[in-house]
Amino acid sequence: MNKPNETTLIERCIKGDRQAFETLLIQYEKPVFNAAYRMLNNRDDASDVTQTVFLKVYENFDSFDPSRRFFSWIYRITLNESINWLVRQNRLAPLPHDTADQGKSPEQELDSAQRCAAVQAALMTIKTEYRTVIIMKHFLGCSYAEIGDALEIEEKKVKSRLYTARQLLKDALTSSGIN
Amino acid sequence: MAIDQKYTDLINADIDGEISDAEKATLSAFLAQSEEGRSVHSELTAFFGSLDTVDPELPPPHLRHVIMSSIRPVPEKPESPGYLQALFASSSLKFAATFAAGAVLALSVVDSNRISNSAFDDVARLVGTIADPVNGESRNSITVNKTEIAGKISLRQTGSMLILDFDLVAMDPIEIEAVYADRTIWFNGFASLQSSGTSISAESGRVTIGMEGKRRYAVFLHNEGDRRITVSLRFIVGGEVIHEASLDYDPAE
Repeated sequence: MNKPNETTLIERCIKGDRQAFETLLIQYEKPVFNAAYRMLNNRDDASDVTQTVFLKVYENFDSFDPSRRFFSWIYRITLNESINWLVRQNRLAPLPHDTADQGKSPEQELDSAQRCAAVQAALMTIKTEYRTVIIMKHFLGCSYAEIGDALEIEEKKVKSRLYTARQLLKDALTSSGIN
Repeated sequence: MAIDQKYTDLINADIDGEISDAEKATLSAFLAQSEEGRSVHSELTAFFGSLDTVDPELPPPHLRHVIMSSIRPVPEKPESPGYLQALFASSSLKFAATFAAGAVLALSVVDSNRISNSAFDDVARLVGTIADPVNGESRNSITVNKTEIAGKISLRQTGSMLILDFDLVAMDPIEIEAVYADRTIWFNGFASLQSSGTSISAESGRVTIGMEGKRRYAVFLHNEGDRRITVSLRFIVGGEVIHEASLDYDPAE
């Protein structure tokens, strides 16, 4: 279920209340943009996708089932739009590891920004189905159940996909010299 | 020796905080007798922890305005009479009758199709193409002389229209926010001269412009009651305000 104030906001949005929509926008703009960026690895693309996501949300409130969680709905739209964007750009295939290499030696001390960049680069080397669960778990803070709800897959499947995704991500980071 | 998949799953569930009491007891018993298990647990804890500390990528500051400008206003709630109707009804504003073809100031809302279309949708009372240069009376101006941006911003007035003229050069992308507290004054249009590549979004009491390079453009505000107004200007680069200024319009002066 949604939080009571969120339910009210959604009801107002369905009636076309722009102010209510802006409140939801303020609440979800950052996680939606962050998720899109992690999927696409490009700020401009992430901005475009974020814009598309919110337009779709605004135009499709009528089809939203209020008994479902709003964030599951908007995150699913975000991830689907990101994947659609990658398909349109012919960028669905993961990047090869050498493209993701940050050029750091294992001995090199990584500061926070470098580590963020390294993780992002490694993310881009794994398939989108695995990238998606990593983003939902580690960047959006979703539980197994919430990931399952958003992606419409069973919790058991979430666990196994997450397990594989982390292995792949870990391997990608290791191969680029980052432990 | 490889760890049984069952325990690997439990280790993952434990680190994710999604483990039941019974599973936790099973895992604890396993870890107590498996050095390899403890090592994997420790390694994965560090790895997952490093993922969770990756800073979130923050959206550009203007994105919210762009999105709000992109959504269609509710049609049954007109906030004020259409500007064009008001304009044509006023004999003192005959010059406006030449709105239409043959632009001197080519109205453009650029940057992306979505932005331009949405801006039109949102600010339904755009001036549109202006046939004659609007020779408003100069009321105020400021100069900006910063490393990031330099040039002049002037405020002119003609009838109920206030015109902010921007003649600026910015080395890098910059966002300019023009904020006016009086909500009876509304954004009435945007015209760009000799340049493109400027983006604009508008909401009640605020116009946000994105630009880079040398740009000349004008922002039109409708001031029906000829009210006193202060337009606060904020110049933002990379989310940081690098300069602030204001332009006053006082009808008594």
